[in-house]
Amino acid sequence: MDINEACRIIEGVRGGAILVATMGAMGAFDQLGAAQPRINSVPLMGGAASIGLGLAIGRPDRRVIVVDGDASLLMQLGGLATVAERQPRNFHHFVIRNGTQFSGFSNLATPAEDIVDFAAMAKAAGYRGASSFSDAAAFSEALPAILAEDGPIFTELRVTPPPPIPGANTQFEIPPQQFVRMGAEAVALSAWLAERGND
Amino acid sequence: MEAHPYNIPASACLAALQRNGVDHFVTVPDWIQLALHERVEAGVDGLELVRCSNEDQAVCVSAGLRIAGKRPITVIQNQGLYACVNALRAVCLDASIPVVFLVGHFGREFGNFGQDPNLSERNTVKLLEPILNALGVRFWRLETEGDLAGMDEAFAYADRESRSAVLIVGAPTGWN
Repeated sequence: MDINEACRIIEGVRGGAILVATMGAMGAFDQLGAAQPRINSVPLMGGAASIGLGLAIGRPDRRVIVVDGDASLLMQLGGLATVAERQPRNFHHFVIRNGTQFSGFSNLATPAEDIVDFAAMAKAAGYRGASSFSDAAAFSEALPAILAEDGPIFTELRVTPPPPIPGANTQFEIPPQQFVRMGAEAVALSAWLAERGND
Repeated sequence: MEAHPYNIPASACLAALQRNGVDHFVTVPDWIQLALHERVEAGVDGLELVRCSNEDQAVCVSAGLRIAGKRPITVIQNQGLYACVNALRAVCLDASIPVVFLVGHFGREFGNFGQDPNLSERNTVKLLEPILNALGVRFWRLETEGDLAGMDEAFAYADRESRSAVLIVGAPTGWN
């Protein structure tokens, strides 16, 4: 499975769930044309799960799907306990595990890539359920049942990283949009949620 | 500890939060605000407690709540604010999500109460206001109970300007 397949499978069944993505998943959902309700933690590694938790607490009538990154989660492992303490039934936490940072650029290895068991960590922290997939067909088949469960549920998605880009082509000027899009998305999502009230 | 004018009663802090419509108390606990924490831990109608493992998470949870139409307060201490500067940069500055903070001045010399905290000899105290100024985040000092009007101003500012605001609690909150 690659990140585009993983995100396509999630988007295919997301329905009206609020999508909170970050890093590579943000780009994958952009390519899929993922629409409201949606926000990205950008540029902020590690923020997606907590932004999603705030949304889940504030809007218990709406399912929240967080699509995190493995290096992002490593930055905020204590966030698993923050989520677990609240036991939000509408919270589903997916982690794209590609084992790399700056994936598709230099593909630098994440710490303890061959050692860390994220699903076990989430379960030990107090998530109701945790599982791991590396096969797209198996994930696609299991996802409806995963989303039917009460959260917090954790799902690791082991994906093959894209190949690195060699040398001087890796660094381009970061576009201004990268620094303003979260604010624009916050305004849009807030308005979208307010228009619909509590279902 | 004998109460003096610099110990703002926790009951008054709570009343100020309530009159500003605060519905979620998002926190990594602060030693300076222990009396307020204990009241919230005991349960306050209409005020949900959200415990976070670190201040990055507190900022982001508050942002999510704010987007969801809620009215959180983020309660941390000065060291915690130093720890979450990047989350603050992304959420409060770049994204302009108006998070309002109560930040306790942990480590302040008692002899400095009522004085300029920037004259403290301790980095944990004297760096707070310069860092907030460098970040362009407005702040209000809560030094005595009368300063709690600053909380009303801070929320009004956050609502009006869609900017974050920090209320600096200068001395341990009173147990009354």
